[in-house]
Amino acid sequence: MLELAGVSTRYGAITMLRDVSLEVAPGRIACLLGPNGAGKTTLIRTILGIVTPVAGEIRFEGQRLDRLRTHQIVERGIGVVPEGRRVFPRMTVEENLRMGAFVEWTPADLGERLDRVFALFPRLAERRGQRAATMSGGEQAMLAVGRALMGRPRLLLLDEPSLGLAPVLVEQLFAMVQTINRSGTTVFLVEQNARKTLEIAHHGFLIQKGEIVGRGSAAELAASEIVRHAYLRA
Amino acid sequence: MPPLELLLQQALNGVMLGVMYALIAVGFTLFFGVLDVIHFSHGDIFMLGAFAGLSALLGLKAAGVAGAALALPLAFAAAMLVTGLVGVAAERVCVKPLARSSPLMTLLATLSLGLVLRESVLIFYPRGADPKPFPQLLPQGGVEVGGVAIRYENLAILAIGFAAMIAVDRIINRTRMGAAIRAVAQDPEAAQMMGVNLDRTVDATFFLGSALAAVAGILSGLYYSEIHFIMGITGGVIGFSAAAIGGLGNVYGAIVGGLLFGVLQTTAAALIPRGSEFRDVVAFAVVMLFLVFKPSGILGEKSVERV
Repeated sequence: MLELAGVSTRYGAITMLRDVSLEVAPGRIACLLGPNGAGKTTLIRTILGIVTPVAGEIRFEGQRLDRLRTHQIVERGIGVVPEGRRVFPRMTVEENLRMGAFVEWTPADLGERLDRVFALFPRLAERRGQRAATMSGGEQAMLAVGRALMGRPRLLLLDEPSLGLAPVLVEQLFAMVQTINRSGTTVFLVEQNARKTLEIAHHGFLIQKGEIVGRGSAAELAASEIVRHAYLRA
Repeated sequence: MPPLELLLQQALNGVMLGVMYALIAVGFTLFFGVLDVIHFSHGDIFMLGAFAGLSALLGLKAAGVAGAALALPLAFAAAMLVTGLVGVAAERVCVKPLARSSPLMTLLATLSLGLVLRESVLIFYPRGADPKPFPQLLPQGGVEVGGVAIRYENLAILAIGFAAMIAVDRIINRTRMGAAIRAVAQDPEAAQMMGVNLDRTVDATFFLGSALAAVAGILSGLYYSEIHFIMGITGGVIGFSAAAIGGLGNVYGAIVGGLLFGVLQTTAAALIPRGSEFRDVVAFAVVMLFLVFKPSGILGEKSVERV
């Protein structure tokens, strides 16, 4: 579904990603685990064309994404829950959701899409007319996910959705990601929270200092030395 | 204390002026909203709009289109197209290439462009140094209501100005491009992640804001019956002040700021001895008070959120 082959990026003289290759299998939940500053967000930003790779290729459903502009990339059918949520603060919940369907803007099934998001997140229906800035972190996280779903993406990218959420909310959010995946959306989940992530992911990759240092099924990753040492101590 | 009729009269005149200021201010606030820049040549775009409108009217007259009902809408359309395109060009030349350098560079570039526009009109427009009489195309005459003289011409200017503002509101709040403009103003990167084409949105914003300045330019010509190549200096400073007191980045703030500035000017003229000489002093003194005590402006949120 999504493939990166030998992708490297630089920021000035510093190499941010070095020869990153990975593939997200269709219909699955893939994860990318790594500590702060390992290059997780850079990787997402590179997929989205915000950062331009200096080497390598990125393909989505077989077609090259690198060299395309951000809006052209998401138009291909990619939904994004960016790091820090990034909901539009002065827009209402409904306006934010509308922005999620920006590419098509007035699809015939707009009402159905809204209903579907409201069914997944009843809280958003209650807050329909409320400005996003006035909502709690958990509500904003739901809004960010709902917004990404409004475009009916075939691939959903989530960049640290659990960040700053209480454990019970993380639990709910991850259950929701699982539900979304079961309804047919491929998920690429970028996280620091390895324990929770490996509970729902099918396969994944480990990243450290900009390099992929491990890959495999969720069970393999959970059993690997790096993960057990670095993330699953507690 | 001057009589109430005089105050009402002056307040009405203030709203007249305020509508023009508001139309200029909306441009400033839109540009600041999407790109965080102060586009200092915007006042001269306003001037250019007036001259484009005048040229169109003279051209139409020469072509035999005499009636105001046809000539005026055509002149508005032509002037809006001219300033819209010049505004987009201004952004591409003076703003976008400098996006990664200091904001001071953008300030300098846009100030310089304003000078270029001003001098170009001076040099290339026939007898450009002279004030140009502007055709009187609006209905003359008027009525008196409770001692306040209301001229039809002024009502027409108000109607056109408010129609333009309502149109902007509709574009911003009801269209896809308007949604893109709002999204980019709030979070450009997140907007792109939703599929917004950043460059096209910026172009649309500069086209829209600059076209509004043309409306203000023609209204100014109709109101004062003449236009001059330096009118953009005052127009720009006042438009920018109006946007600032309304809260930079907020379209409704710009409208409120523009109206407030106009009313301040005219009521100052009525309330203070020799007030008409001091009207700008009073109005700008209030602007300074705003900057000191309410730096984020009346409806400003953006700068508050930024802190």
